Amino acid sequence: MKTLLLRLEPVVWLLFGMGIMLGTILLPGWLLVMGLGAPLGLVPESAVAFDRVHALAANPLGRLVLLGLIALPLWKGAHHLRSLSVDGGGHERDGLVGGVLYALALLGSVLGVVAVARL
Amino acid sequence: MSRTWNPHAMQPHAAARTRSAPPGIPDRFWSFPRMRRYLLFDATGLVYLLIGFVILRAAWALGDGPEAWGRVLHDYRNPLYLLFHAITLVSVIFVGVRFFRLFPKAQPPRIGPATPPPRPVIHALLYAVWGAVTLGLLLVLGGVIP
Amino acid sequence: MSQLRKKTFVITRFDPDKDQVPKTQSYEIECRPDWKVLDAINFIKDEVDPTLSHRWSCRMAVCGSCGMNVNGEPRLTCKTSLAEYGDVVEIEPLANFPVVRDLVVDIDGFMEKFESVKPWIIRAKEKAPEEGTCRQSPEELEAFRQFSMCINCMLCYAACPVVANSPEFLGPAAIALGHRYNLDSRDEGAAERNERFRGEGTIFECSYANECSEVCPKNVDPAAAINQAKLLAVLDWARGLVLPRKGGK
Repeated sequence: MKTLLLRLEPVVWLLFGMGIMLGTILLPGWLLVMGLGAPLGLVPESAVAFDRVHALAANPLGRLVLLGLIALPLWKGAHHLRSLSVDGGGHERDGLVGGVLYALALLGSVLGVVAVARL
Repeated sequence: MSRTWNPHAMQPHAAARTRSAPPGIPDRFWSFPRMRRYLLFDATGLVYLLIGFVILRAAWALGDGPEAWGRVLHDYRNPLYLLFHAITLVSVIFVGVRFFRLFPKAQPPRIGPATPPPRPVIHALLYAVWGAVTLGLLLVLGGVIP
Repeated sequence: MSQLRKKTFVITRFDPDKDQVPKTQSYEIECRPDWKVLDAINFIKDEVDPTLSHRWSCRMAVCGSCGMNVNGEPRLTCKTSLAEYGDVVEIEPLANFPVVRDLVVDIDGFMEKFESVKPWIIRAKEKAPEEGTCRQSPEELEAFRQFSMCINCMLCYAACPVVANSPEFLGPAAIALGHRYNLDSRDEGAAERNERFRGEGTIFECSYANECSEVCPKNVDPAAAINQAKLLAVLDWARGLVLPRKGGK
């Protein structure tokens, strides 16, 4: 597993890089409206009604943004949690921890593709 | 003063001529403020991993139909969800500020014929894009446009 | 004359012939206000305890010999003023390195990593003398000059959380110096070095803690070098996927 991870490091790093850059740029907008604004009543209900959101999300750009919001943070998260594991003395278990975390990110990304495809 | 952490740190492959003491780290190594901030930065990975799956659930519900989406909106009013989203927002800002500070100097002096803009320009551009995208999403998701 | 001030130095001692584990020993001495930490250590060795072992040489922060952990921070002791500290100063050998004796650490591990990145000009074919020297413009020099300032003091290794945890990790100075040669217009060995960068102890183990750059006494900014090197190593890897690898650059 460690050797496989070593060979895949460039790919994982690229995904992580996109994740931290684009994920961080995209998330605040989503969080401010969907995570806080709408539940707290600061955003009109009509704005987040199903028909409107579905129409926005089903738009090609919308699908891309939604996929970005799902997949990108996962790769940043997986990579940094792996880093945290090593920081905590987990050098020996790095192959396992990295493998599990990146598999999780991959699973989430694939499900994300399915989710936006079926909109 | 200090303690042993990984006894094999910086160990040469060739055997030393005398018995060495294992490498030590000072007591403050993992706990001094700047290191704590770095560890917190890594720890935000958990928040990012979770938010990805949370948004996945919302996207899946959008595909399922109005009732599923209604359940998502209802769940988001739960104080635990509100707390999670608030923590995520704080984490994302923390990550953004640190990452945008460190990103400009990570650009090589040139790639082929291309050279990057000066570091302060990259730094400003990152914030400009962050602001513009956030504003755009606020306006679109918030119902102002279209 | 300015006042002498009493300070206590709590110094790590380790004699492999006598000690199982390192221990500390305290020395109380009167210090001049203009002293650096190294002056105090030298005074202790000269006047108080000649058995104390430590490395030092230039006294002006260019040789990189005198790195130690002072009150928990990796510092060049010749460059660190005693005025920064109170009545008690703790001096330990550089963190993350095996200890040979007292304040002297085993740097062979660093030398192995350093040599493995081939920190010298690699050219496919040396220029014949009649062709003249390799010419380099000021702009070409500027591309790597900052990274060439490294004095191999290894404070960066003492500060790095990845070095603390991953024995094979190449580490800040080795990567920064490999990158220095990759950026050098006279060099043609980037492909070899990038392969090493992606090998065991890969540069991708770096988690951009930036501690190396915080402690570097020569403003080399190894964190910048490592993270620039990551991008270049990825581009090199991608190029290798698409185009077959030829010899040299």
